[in-house]
Amino acid sequence: MDKKRAEAAQGRTRRAPQPVWDGFVRLFHWGLVASIAVAAVTGFLLGPSFIPVHVVAASLAVALVLARIIWGFAGGGYARFAGFVAGPGRLLRYARDVLARREARHVGHNPLGGAMVLALMAAVLVAGLTGWAFLGAGAKLGPFAFVLAFAASPVLAELHEAVAFAILALVALHVAGVVFTSRREGENLVRAMVTGEKEVGPQDIVPPQREPRTGAALGVGLALALVLGAAIAAPVFLPVPGAPVAEIDPTVRAECTDCHMFYHPSLLPAGDWRRIMATLDDHYGEDASLDADTAAEITAWLTAHAAESADTRASKVFRLDPAGGVTRITETPFWKARHAGIGDAAFRSAEVGSRANCAACHADAESGWFNPFFAEIEG
Amino acid sequence: MHENLRRLTLIGALAVLTGWPAAAGDTSARQLIAQFAAEAGTQPSAARGKALFMGTHTGGKPETPSCTTCHTRNLKAAGQTRAGKAIEPMAPSVNPARYTDSAKVAKWFRRNCKSVLGRECTAAEKADILAWLSGL
Repeated sequence: MDKKRAEAAQGRTRRAPQPVWDGFVRLFHWGLVASIAVAAVTGFLLGPSFIPVHVVAASLAVALVLARIIWGFAGGGYARFAGFVAGPGRLLRYARDVLARREARHVGHNPLGGAMVLALMAAVLVAGLTGWAFLGAGAKLGPFAFVLAFAASPVLAELHEAVAFAILALVALHVAGVVFTSRREGENLVRAMVTGEKEVGPQDIVPPQREPRTGAALGVGLALALVLGAAIAAPVFLPVPGAPVAEIDPTVRAECTDCHMFYHPSLLPAGDWRRIMATLDDHYGEDASLDADTAAEITAWLTAHAAESADTRASKVFRLDPAGGVTRITETPFWKARHAGIGDAAFRSAEVGSRANCAACHADAESGWFNPFFAEIEG
Repeated sequence: MHENLRRLTLIGALAVLTGWPAAAGDTSARQLIAQFAAEAGTQPSAARGKALFMGTHTGGKPETPSCTTCHTRNLKAAGQTRAGKAIEPMAPSVNPARYTDSAKVAKWFRRNCKSVLGRECTAAEKADILAWLSGL
């Protein structure tokens, strides 16, 4: 049946291929394929150490979609939304025509394809929004760090995952639609998205030709990039609510770093610090005793800036429970889950020395932040 | 009582000589050895100090049976704490800041003798260990 239609299509007067998909539309399409593929693999399959790759790839997908939206108002005829976005009435009529095998051939996106373009782009934008919201709440990165508390992060993670699954479903539907239309029209639409050229017959529907306004598109794109870049970088320059204390008491730093790296007070609640400071004569198998005055001074500072004073992930996930056998941060369920893939040999290596040496791989460990972008995992 | 008076006088004299109150660079290995030896009333012995430092002991915490657990047997090189932090070399020939801060020396003798031996070191033991380390 498809073959018959293809032959019928051949029977129509076909002309030499004409340029339909401009350079940007093709770059956008295949760039989106690549960035979504990387985001999906890192997000669904790989562990937390791939968060930076995921964020960069997914943000690239969002940037491509934003650029495509601008081009949808400024590009040539085939790229403009006005040329392929159909209302519900036209959409329904076209779907009925397809089912009755009497639909007209659109050289650009047909109404259903146009709806898929919009749906995919919307889904990528919502995924980007929920993703950055999750990063803002959970890691205090990006613009949402100023408005979202850590408590919101589990819900945002669920939401982000649901949208990600929706993208996978839309991609599957999109590929199915491309295969269907390619066979029906006897033209390889995947190749057309590579070469940019499609055959145009006299009865085919062609959108009104428009002169692309490249300069205006670049200007708007650049302005948007600056605004979004500033929003993403803002927490680097502006104080974020719930940040771990940045100014470290010199006595605390000096006394607490004689034998180990500086463990930020926000890593443990005040009660844990009090117990640790009360048992310094047997401090994880060593005598770390201090004179009473110094110990009291350090305890006061640690408890004042303990986990309760911060809203970072690292301040929410570590609780000691000596009765339950959890006497170290490295014995907490969260720590174990996050470091499950790292072998004993790596921790014992000369550069690391022990599991207690967070700073060997987390460059910002002593600040209490544990930014995923500063975690370095070597093979 | 007589013994204590003598000790106090000696410490007082040393304090004046070394510029009390204690601060970084307030003392030297020689002064410390003299001080501990006077307190103990014994002659410092580098050989006894070496044996104590390099030996394996059982009275302290199981994680640290010897000074060499962290300092290693090569005292001209850096050691490593069990938490992975580097310990500056113990030998003054490569680390001249060693044994020049009386508060530091007191703090680490107290902590590390308890960790390794399960008790504080005697003045005689401190004099012995310093006599050996200061010649490295």
